[in-house]
Amino acid sequence: MSTKSQKTFKHLEATNGAYKFNLKSSVFDGLTISFVLAVLVYLLLQPNEDELLLLGRNSSWYGVLFVLSMLASYFVNRQGIKTWGEKIFEPDYRKTHGEEVPMLKSFWGWQAVITMLISFAIGLRVTEFSFEKVLDRDGFQGAVRIFSELLRPNFEILPRAVVRMFETIFMAFIATAFAIPIAFVLSFFAAKNIMKHPLAFVFYLLLRTLLNITRSVEAFMWAIIFAVWVGIGPAAGMLALMIHSIASLAKQYSEIIESVGDGPIEGVLSCGANKLQTIWYAIVPQVVLPFISFTVYRWDINVRMATIVGFVGGGGIGKLLIAYQGQAQWKEVGCIFLVIAIVVWLLDQGSAYIREALK
Amino acid sequence: MSAPILSVKNLTKTYPNGVQALKDISFEVQQGEFLVVIGLSGSGKSTLLKCINRLLDPSSGQILFKSQKDKSLDIAKLEGADQIRNLRTKIGMIFQHFNLIPRHSVLSNVLMGRLSSTSTLKSILGIFSEKDRDEAMKYLKLVGISEKARIRADQLSGGQQQRVAIARALAQNPEVLLADEPVASLDPATCHVVMDYLKKVNQELGITVICNLHFLSLVRQYATRVIAMKDGRIVYEGLPSEIDEKWFEKIYGEGAKEVHVN
Repeated sequence: MSTKSQKTFKHLEATNGAYKFNLKSSVFDGLTISFVLAVLVYLLLQPNEDELLLLGRNSSWYGVLFVLSMLASYFVNRQGIKTWGEKIFEPDYRKTHGEEVPMLKSFWGWQAVITMLISFAIGLRVTEFSFEKVLDRDGFQGAVRIFSELLRPNFEILPRAVVRMFETIFMAFIATAFAIPIAFVLSFFAAKNIMKHPLAFVFYLLLRTLLNITRSVEAFMWAIIFAVWVGIGPAAGMLALMIHSIASLAKQYSEIIESVGDGPIEGVLSCGANKLQTIWYAIVPQVVLPFISFTVYRWDINVRMATIVGFVGGGGIGKLLIAYQGQAQWKEVGCIFLVIAIVVWLLDQGSAYIREALK
Repeated sequence: MSAPILSVKNLTKTYPNGVQALKDISFEVQQGEFLVVIGLSGSGKSTLLKCINRLLDPSSGQILFKSQKDKSLDIAKLEGADQIRNLRTKIGMIFQHFNLIPRHSVLSNVLMGRLSSTSTLKSILGIFSEKDRDEAMKYLKLVGISEKARIRADQLSGGQQQRVAIARALAQNPEVLLADEPVASLDPATCHVVMDYLKKVNQELGITVICNLHFLSLVRQYATRVIAMKDGRIVYEGLPSEIDEKWFEKIYGEGAKEVHVN
């Protein structure tokens, strides 16, 4: 005899039925369930614009919903019914036990589907998406106008666009070049397998946090800052890209370092090598190629970002583009589009070939 | 026979996850011996070797090391990176997967054995003394692979890589050589070549060898004495010729059959 309730209890039997509070899964369920509840409350109360702007009041009510959702998640899980959060974050010893239940016959499956559908519906409303607008006669004529101009680029400004494009490429190049040595050194201090000593581990955590914060500030935000600091121009753009590249490369480098094989490390250690010698001879040879591969990719990304960075005071082709766009000179904009697209395409292909060859 | 070069007393090792790999191990190793440790995977052989050169830290017990060149010391009591490095210079080690630096040349790999006596700055710039280079070449000749000195280590076959690893360990001028399953990932024919070089190192250079092995036929051929381990304990200690079918079943479990390497 196999009823539904027996099936859902299956995953608890493996560990004698004891469900332990799981923070990650509770937070995940708390967020997803309270989101659905918040949407229901919104539909029930139909608040106006002014009421929506009462951030303090609304967030404290949301907080209540969040806590209630977390509690609900806990009690549902304790009943032996797996929630979405538990499905994702349950510990491995549970995951490997119990029967696999088809998604749409399980609680978590329906929870996931309902949350996704509601997100989709809300998303459509918030982004004011409608097919009418895209196909609307006036709007469509606007599209025809801009395309007809963009597709007949004004090649008179081509020389200037090319010169500015070179500025952008070198901006990205110098930013990457400066970032490499700094990121290289930092990456070893940001690798868990090197910073094992308790004191070193504290430093590792601090550095990781600092890098994460730096990385969460996008390059164009740094450009806004540096445009004031060193003045509008390629130097500001270069500095912005450099800061962002250091943080990104240091993270990628350190992840490579964390994945190196233990064999050569043991081999060199057994010879009586010290820490620096071990890093240099056992770790560096293993990471050089992936480092180069990530660095080439970073340069590629930097060229694309350099265009955006130019919009906000970083110089280069972005600055030229924003000037013509502001005056609605679409033929000139078309020419610049073409230059950017060709360069990005070439670099994309080139860096892909290089990375493939380095494997 | 002189005093033992190594005497292990009541050695235990418990991993952080709670696994007890070594349970109260005691044995002695005489100067110049070719001691082989046998046992199933997971019986604690590798852990034992790695405790001797402190790639792992023992949980309790003693490992007395009576060096010919230096004063005696208890390996298990060593603390700090400097003391442990100093110990490792006297105890060489080779591994099942060779653990060479794949992208470096054979010679550069052997020079790793000289790292401990080269300053950090010089070693990072790759500056090794003429004497070190000569010595490295000498040991490459000893294992019959000197003509490959300039070739990248990952271009060599498994057996050749293991010989480079032996040369690297010898470049340290060790008094003891630890060999952790040195032939487990080699084909049977290459097995003997590598084992023969280990024997040569043992007999010609007088280096004490402690070697983990799987195959009993190799044990009979090369060992001067055998220790068998099971579940972290020593279950047999004696001469290789004394291991009969009964002992074999005790060590490897009932129904196990001996496999021969030709």
